[in-house]
Amino acid sequence: MNKYFQIFKISFQEEFTYKINFVMWRVRNVFQIIVTYYLWDTIFSAPGREVFGYDRAKIMTYIFTLIIVRSIVLSARAVDVSSDVAEGNLSNYLIRPMSYFKYWFTRDIASKVLNLFFAAGEFAILFVILKPPFFFQTNIYVFLSFLMAIVLAILIYFSLLFIISAVPFWAPELGWGSQFLVIIVMLEFLSGAVFPIDILPGVYQKIVMSLPFPYMIFFPVQVYLGKITGMSLIQGFVISIAWAVALYLAMRYVWSRGLKEYQAFGR
Amino acid sequence: MDRAIIVDHLVKNFEVIQKEPGLTGAVKSLFSPTKKQVHALRGVSFSIQTGELVGFIGPNGAGKTTTLKTLSGLLYPTSGFVSVMEYDPWERKPEFLKQIALVMGQKNQLWWDLPAIETFELNRAIYELNTREYEDNLKELVELLEIGKLINIPVRKLSLGQRMRMELTAALLHKPKVLFLDEPTIGLDLVAQQKMRDFIYEYNRKYQATIILTSHNMDDLVDLARRVIVVDEGKILFDGALEELVEKFAKEKIIKATLAKSDGIVDLEKIGKVRKLAFPEVVISVPRNAIAVAAAELLQNFAVDDLTIEEIPIEDVIRKVFKGGIFGK
Ligand SMILES: Nc1ncnc2c1ncn2[C@@H]1O[C@H](COP(=O)(O)OP(=O)(O)OP(=O)(O)O)[C@@H](O)[C@H]1O
Ligand SMILES: [Mg+2]
Repeated sequence: MNKYFQIFKISFQEEFTYKINFVMWRVRNVFQIIVTYYLWDTIFSAPGREVFGYDRAKIMTYIFTLIIVRSIVLSARAVDVSSDVAEGNLSNYLIRPMSYFKYWFTRDIASKVLNLFFAAGEFAILFVILKPPFFFQTNIYVFLSFLMAIVLAILIYFSLLFIISAVPFWAPELGWGSQFLVIIVMLEFLSGAVFPIDILPGVYQKIVMSLPFPYMIFFPVQVYLGKITGMSLIQGFVISIAWAVALYLAMRYVWSRGLKEYQAFGR
Repeated sequence: MDRAIIVDHLVKNFEVIQKEPGLTGAVKSLFSPTKKQVHALRGVSFSIQTGELVGFIGPNGAGKTTTLKTLSGLLYPTSGFVSVMEYDPWERKPEFLKQIALVMGQKNQLWWDLPAIETFELNRAIYELNTREYEDNLKELVELLEIGKLINIPVRKLSLGQRMRMELTAALLHKPKVLFLDEPTIGLDLVAQQKMRDFIYEYNRKYQATIILTSHNMDDLVDLARRVIVVDEGKILFDGALEELVEKFAKEKIIKATLAKSDGIVDLEKIGKVRKLAFPEVVISVPRNAIAVAAAELLQNFAVDDLTIEEIPIEDVIRKVFKGGIFGK
């Protein structure tokens, strides 16, 4: 256990040496939020306007909950894994007695803690400036459900990232492209990070909700807001647990195959 | 017989996708890739005793690094048998990994932006060393490699040679019993090279560590390796004592003579290849089987004061190995 605590510590230290990078990444996040905010603000500029069952207050609540959920779920250092594989840096980890998965999971956690800390600060500032409507969840059961949804979201994202990062085992030059496709396109649009999934027409909504993506952002947010309760809450958990398990197993499988292909590039 | 490393008929192929130049080529290779097998190792067999220090030599692309990577569990063998201290490296069991180290010049495990001491601390946790072991080992390595002043400086600010020493320290903190060193002296200045060699020698002697060392550096081999394995194109060409290498591969011997007179000196060419002519000294190389005849002829036809017959210097043979000229190609 001490192993992974050390990794946590050193990751934290390293994040601080990349001060500029880190700040830029946070600035990017803030801009993203502001852009989204004004986009929706314009759409709802007419008083009393409702779009897809959302009025201004509801959508703003959604967006502000998003900030926190995003910074917990989507900040991950494991995006570097695919270049480790492609460039042969993976060798440095394989040669030492530790689990590569646990190593990156630990680094992810360190990154999430740090990002959450900053996101909370940004949240407070934006809250004061923009004065959006926000909903503070006080029901302890709902809050616990939310925490569970977050844990599942983290696991799903981690496995997904690792599966995509395994592509360079077979095609070293495809690493970046596949990551772009899955992470930027699929994740942003299908997870609910740009718009809430329930504005989609019924059929599409059903399709999207059976994919793993909305369980990374949309589902936890809705659980927090108390929008998903009872049977649909249980159904949501069943699907996201099923995805978490399936993706975890897929990740183990893909990696055990991939490591046999691994070429340990470099001298 | 205590064999630390056994390699039997090891084969490793790499599959590479061939690309044609240009954009159309790139698109084409995406949809119908032309695959090609690179035969990096074509049936390599050898075994190494505990405590041995073996030099692994051969020209570029011979398969040295590939062998070391397979022995340390990074590469999955295409076929053949590999065992290191009775472990199958591929399984990468923690007990196995705790007893080996692979040091490669360019790949490094040091955290680039942090001082090396942070990586050392991390390795202490990863290898589960107790405080005592860790402190003793670190102190010893710091003294041997003279890096005391450098361990608190961010790694990116160190020079290549300083970084190599840090790398070595990080790799040896857990006192591995088996050490794979891939060109450990590359890029070091002469003084640092000598220090590195002294260190490797000491480490081998003190801990009875089994060491495989690859190098293109003559001095590394002459100083350190009693036994060498020569590989080329994925095959072993020679495995034995360094001195035997000369007997086996030097097809010629050398006659050194001191002449009394310079008469007919141009005729020396008839006896053998004149390597050096600085009257009164001459050096002639002659095929091994013709050496007696050549010496007799020389004594008969020239006024010779002194004559010796010698083996070709070991350096010349090794140099030939490095160039891949050992086949006589
Ligand atoms: N990942 C890889 N993909 C394809 N071919 C490879 C790969 N790694 C090595 N090879 C090929 O395998 C052969 C052996 O390479 P290796 O790195 O073992 O040589 P080496 O003896 O270490 O050479 P050097 O002295 O240059 O370090 C070479 O022909 C090399 O091109
Ligand atoms: Mg090499």
